[in-house]
Amino acid sequence: MRGSDWLDRLGIGALIGVALFSLALLLLPAVIVVIMSFDTRGYISFPPAGFTFDWYARLFNQPVLMGAMWTSIKVGVYVTVLCIALGVPTALACARGDFRGAAGLSVFVLLPHMVPGIVLGVAVLFAGALFGIGPSIWLQSISLAVYVMAVMVRTVMARLQKLDPLLEQAASNLGATRWQSFRTITLPLLMPAILAGAVFTFIEGFDNLSVTIFTHGYRDRPLPVELLTIVQNTNSPLVAAVSSVQILLAILALLAISATIGLDRVND
Amino acid sequence: MTATALPRRLLDEVLSGRGIWPAVPAVVVLTVVAVIPFCILLSLGFSDITVSRGVIVSQTFSLRHLATALSDPLYQITFQRSLTLALSTTALCVLLGFPVAYLFLIGNAWMRRIILVLTIAPILTSGIVRTYSWIVILGGRGVVNSLLIDLGVISAPLRIINTQWAVIIGMVQVHLPIMILPLIAVMSRHDRRLDEASANLGASRLGTLRHVILPLSIGGLGTGAALVFTLSYTTFVVPQLLGGGNYLNAATMIYEQIVYSLEWSKGAVTALLLMLSCLSVLAVITWLTNLGTRWTRASQR
Amino acid sequence: MPATAASGSQACVVEIRRVRKRFADLIVLDDCSLTAQEGEILTLLGSSGCGKTTLLRCIAGFLKPDAGEIRIDGRDTVPVPVNRRPVGVVFQSYALFPHLTVANNVAYGLKMRGAPVEEIRERVAKALATVSLSGFEERYPSQLSGGQQQRVAIARVLVLEPRVLLLDEPFNALDAKLRGSMQVELRQLIKRLGITAIFVTHDQEEALAMSDRIAVMRAGRIEQLGTPEDIFDRPQTAYVADFVGASNFWEARAASGQITLPSGQIVATKLDGDVSLLIRPHNLALSSAGGSAWNGRIISRRHVGALMEYEVEAGGTRPLRIAALRDVEAASLSTGEAVSINLRDPTACMAYPRP
Repeated sequence: MRGSDWLDRLGIGALIGVALFSLALLLLPAVIVVIMSFDTRGYISFPPAGFTFDWYARLFNQPVLMGAMWTSIKVGVYVTVLCIALGVPTALACARGDFRGAAGLSVFVLLPHMVPGIVLGVAVLFAGALFGIGPSIWLQSISLAVYVMAVMVRTVMARLQKLDPLLEQAASNLGATRWQSFRTITLPLLMPAILAGAVFTFIEGFDNLSVTIFTHGYRDRPLPVELLTIVQNTNSPLVAAVSSVQILLAILALLAISATIGLDRVND
Repeated sequence: MTATALPRRLLDEVLSGRGIWPAVPAVVVLTVVAVIPFCILLSLGFSDITVSRGVIVSQTFSLRHLATALSDPLYQITFQRSLTLALSTTALCVLLGFPVAYLFLIGNAWMRRIILVLTIAPILTSGIVRTYSWIVILGGRGVVNSLLIDLGVISAPLRIINTQWAVIIGMVQVHLPIMILPLIAVMSRHDRRLDEASANLGASRLGTLRHVILPLSIGGLGTGAALVFTLSYTTFVVPQLLGGGNYLNAATMIYEQIVYSLEWSKGAVTALLLMLSCLSVLAVITWLTNLGTRWTRASQR
Repeated sequence: MPATAASGSQACVVEIRRVRKRFADLIVLDDCSLTAQEGEILTLLGSSGCGKTTLLRCIAGFLKPDAGEIRIDGRDTVPVPVNRRPVGVVFQSYALFPHLTVANNVAYGLKMRGAPVEEIRERVAKALATVSLSGFEERYPSQLSGGQQQRVAIARVLVLEPRVLLLDEPFNALDAKLRGSMQVELRQLIKRLGITAIFVTHDQEEALAMSDRIAVMRAGRIEQLGTPEDIFDRPQTAYVADFVGASNFWEARAASGQITLPSGQIVATKLDGDVSLLIRPHNLALSSAGGSAWNGRIISRRHVGALMEYEVEAGGTRPLRIAALRDVEAASLSTGEAVSINLRDPTACMAYPRP
């Protein structure tokens, strides 16, 4: 380790330079899209020629887009409800189970998330076709729930494993039944993890394309499918406006996460 | 004590979480919606099927589609392209992502917060939106061309969009956060006293980076690389939107076979091949990661 | 097993009879028997893994003994579920509910019992006043100091008026300075309320300071049960002698009821043959060479509070530890100096057979 001083400084400087470049790469495209969404011209051209809220006004007058947005919100809610109802108890069994195959259970539950979404989407489409179940908002919701349940299970499990088991023992020492200690101690302490999981499952239900494109209902076209068509076929700042709305939504979700579990614990 | 009522005991049992009961509904749903469909997909890859109005009406065993696919040069080209694309995306994400993680490690609370926001926000944003922003940037009248023309570097707009370069740039930018996130997780657990010890023993900052920080980040690099590879190998948004139909990968091929040309048997075969090849590469990545993290298992003994 | 000291006059609150517990191949409790009297502070003392915490958890009901009985007020508690036992546990980490305020932590048990709101408010206020935490009702546990958290944990169980208070290493989480004052405070509180308490600790000083009686445990058995004086001055086995307080073991031979030390001093004993003689460091006196026939050389000295502690090479298998008050002449000896040793009180020594 006898590299001379300036070489060390140069190397670290270059590294930090690359890091700043990467951060700019993550930020700038979003900023540019937001800027373009205020352009007065009918086609995308940089730099913008003027400033107008016109595209946003038009956006909210587009029944197709509004309908798609509404469908996606519904899917997001269904997926989240399913993931909480199925995933939270599963996390409980995974974290505390002492039956045979308890380790296998957590692998099994996390497995669907490892399969590429497109493969899961195709498989569900075919299985439905075999049993005469066509694509619909319900097929889409349940497939997505299966796909992202792993996120909920993992988040809640991580929290459960960090939960002091003495708290429940203290509760029962103070006279609480199992149900009482679950309702008054465990559940409130799991709430931040459940909420954080819910943000992710909702976003996945709202935004997912790989599973959605094969399973969505023909009459209930969700936003990502609609968006894909629009992006491919139009070149107006309307798309930039839709995108800006989505970016705003992401920022709201970000705030929700930082309020519930904190940004630095997204990984746990 | 009198015997507790049965429902009460059942509830206690479920809440204790010691049995498998709480997981039963999820296991049933996962079996019906993931395991069984996957088995059906597998069987369709080896079948001839007739589809009428979106319902499979007949299915007979046949290796025809599998054989055709394996000998079809289009398949070879497409899969080769997908693989190259995904592997270069993964490599570039590692090269661009690791420095960010290093900056996270040495940065103050402010810097850390900025990095977290810039990493997590894109993950919460639709992939289509993020790909679309590259159409705005790289398009004929986009940011890059306008700037270059204004600066007098070029006189006519370059054709960037609908080339493989556009696809690569888009792929890397879309998947970069997925690479950074697990690395940040490693860095936030990293013990800075190790770096101090390394410096105290005479290592330069680069030396510490190379001999202490990098080896300790292998787990995060492996996780990130596996995620980025899986996602970039199986996405069709980026190639579809930035490749302009000229630059297809295996995922777009599945999409076209199933949604446009309704060749379901072909689609099933492609999906199976995609999954198989994806798992093979993942196995290699896992193997390499395990090689680099042997110390974690040795220390558990 | 040693006989139980002074029983009969007072009512026996906890009675543990021949309790056994094993985890897989490991026997953690082996035929433990013990009683705790009304209003007494009983300490289970032992090193980690001796079974003291397991016994405590059996009394609380978190563990079920494999055999034996645990009676509280004469009633067998083994079939009683955890949440119906008249036992209050103060956990080592306090296990305060982080999402509930101090008042709600203390009110928790009463709420679970469905007590009326008005009564809950009164009793919580009273319990908090008892531990001098009035005014802290709306704080969260994370906003309290370690000592305050401990007092909340105590108030939380006291409010339920348990028959027995179980305390699992309650001072572990506190820093050394605070520990001493909390020990005094807690002992006074328990005595004032007249509650029966069972303590678990590995710290012998804490046990000596807090307890009415101490049960020294070793490998799942009770090695000795007695008052702090019994345990410190008359340890019945070499293990207890070594575990409680600083000690020297002088290897010698006993013949016709006598052990003769190199100084010529004689210790009376009932044993015969090879023995280990327990001599506490403060029971040895140092003087300049020539003061007695027991000669040695100082190999090290260290300051221990008001004492000067020497290590003296004096012909035994191990150097002797000898303590001198710092204000006496013997505290000014230096390393390497030749010294003479005298036993202060021959009756304060205990002899144990040597295998």
